[in-house]
Amino acid sequence: MTQAGTSNKTQSAIAAVLRYGSIFSAVVMGFGVLLSFLPGPEVSTTAHLPPGQLLTKALQFDPMGIAELGIFFLLLTPVLRVAIAVVGFAIERDHKYVMISLGVLSVLLASIAYSLR
Amino acid sequence: MPLTWVHVLQLVILGAAAGCAGSLTGIGGGLIITPVLTLAYGVPIHQAIATSLCCVIATSSGAAARYIEQHLADIRLGMTLELATTLGAIGGSLVAGLLSREALAVLFAAIAFYAGSTMVRRAFTQETAETSTSGSYQVKHLPLGLIGSGGAGMISGMLGVGGGVIKVPLMYLVMGVPFKAATATSNFMIGVTAAASAFIYYARGDVRPEVTAPTAIGVFVGASLGAHLLRRTPSRWLIMAFSGIVFYFAVILAWKALYGGFSR
Repeated sequence: MTQAGTSNKTQSAIAAVLRYGSIFSAVVMGFGVLLSFLPGPEVSTTAHLPPGQLLTKALQFDPMGIAELGIFFLLLTPVLRVAIAVVGFAIERDHKYVMISLGVLSVLLASIAYSLR
Repeated sequence: MPLTWVHVLQLVILGAAAGCAGSLTGIGGGLIITPVLTLAYGVPIHQAIATSLCCVIATSSGAAARYIEQHLADIRLGMTLELATTLGAIGGSLVAGLLSREALAVLFAAIAFYAGSTMVRRAFTQETAETSTSGSYQVKHLPLGLIGSGGAGMISGMLGVGGGVIKVPLMYLVMGVPFKAATATSNFMIGVTAAASAFIYYARGDVRPEVTAPTAIGVFVGASLGAHLLRRTPSRWLIMAFSGIVFYFAVILAWKALYGGFSR
């Protein structure tokens, strides 16, 4: 385990996911918050909708639905990062680290599954 | 919390201040966000911790991207230790669900005190920052590192902090990783660790969009700003001032938990 090793392509893919994933979710969150200031029906502030319902709400331009979707994107950014690392290690044929990152990915997916109950 | 533009603006400013101070000093912004939300806005501490976890992801993503591009973060070591931090984080978030607001506040105050004093000590013993980073190194004591990472993940998931204050000394002192690489790798792990526990808080309904979204936006802007301002080691005064604020909130939070309690 040394700091060099992982190919530059994988590294820049991971860096890009982290950077643009967080920018994208900040924009979605900001859009939801700004939308809540528009005149209209009272903004509901109930948290934790099942994702299916959340998506419906966001598509109906419900401000907090959109803000919550942005938060969900923010939480998914690190998960996507791990998924890309799995692919990167697979391309490099580094089987040991494919298994390790698959392990991390399955812990994260278990956590997501828990939140989707 | 009612959703008015005044509240939203205040939360954005709180997030920006915490994010900027966090990236300038290396002390996590979560140490400020959780107590301010709890003490000044009456947000239940479980919800404040959930907000802080989301903010931790927003801060660490940008920082981790920079560290990876500078080839400072050891992706393989980070991924290996993440096996332990994510499991610990899920455990910590489940434990937090069982604890009372008061117990959680006292634990938070304790870790805030530890983190603050570590930063002050480090500011006055600069030897660590100058250690060379180039060249490869052999990672030692991996099993011990995994156990420690699991503990750091647990604290992160339970209290909504990044846990760098545990992981960096663990990698630097125990595992033989150079200081800068340890800092970068710790930062690389924070987002994934926080995400693992944030989904558990999300499932419990503790992630309130009206609190989390404005604060996270502020943190994101503040952390990016801080990263652009910072081109050298932060001054001692800055670290002292920020640690002072962390200490202050830790004392008030613990006092309120022990002698006043939080209204239900």
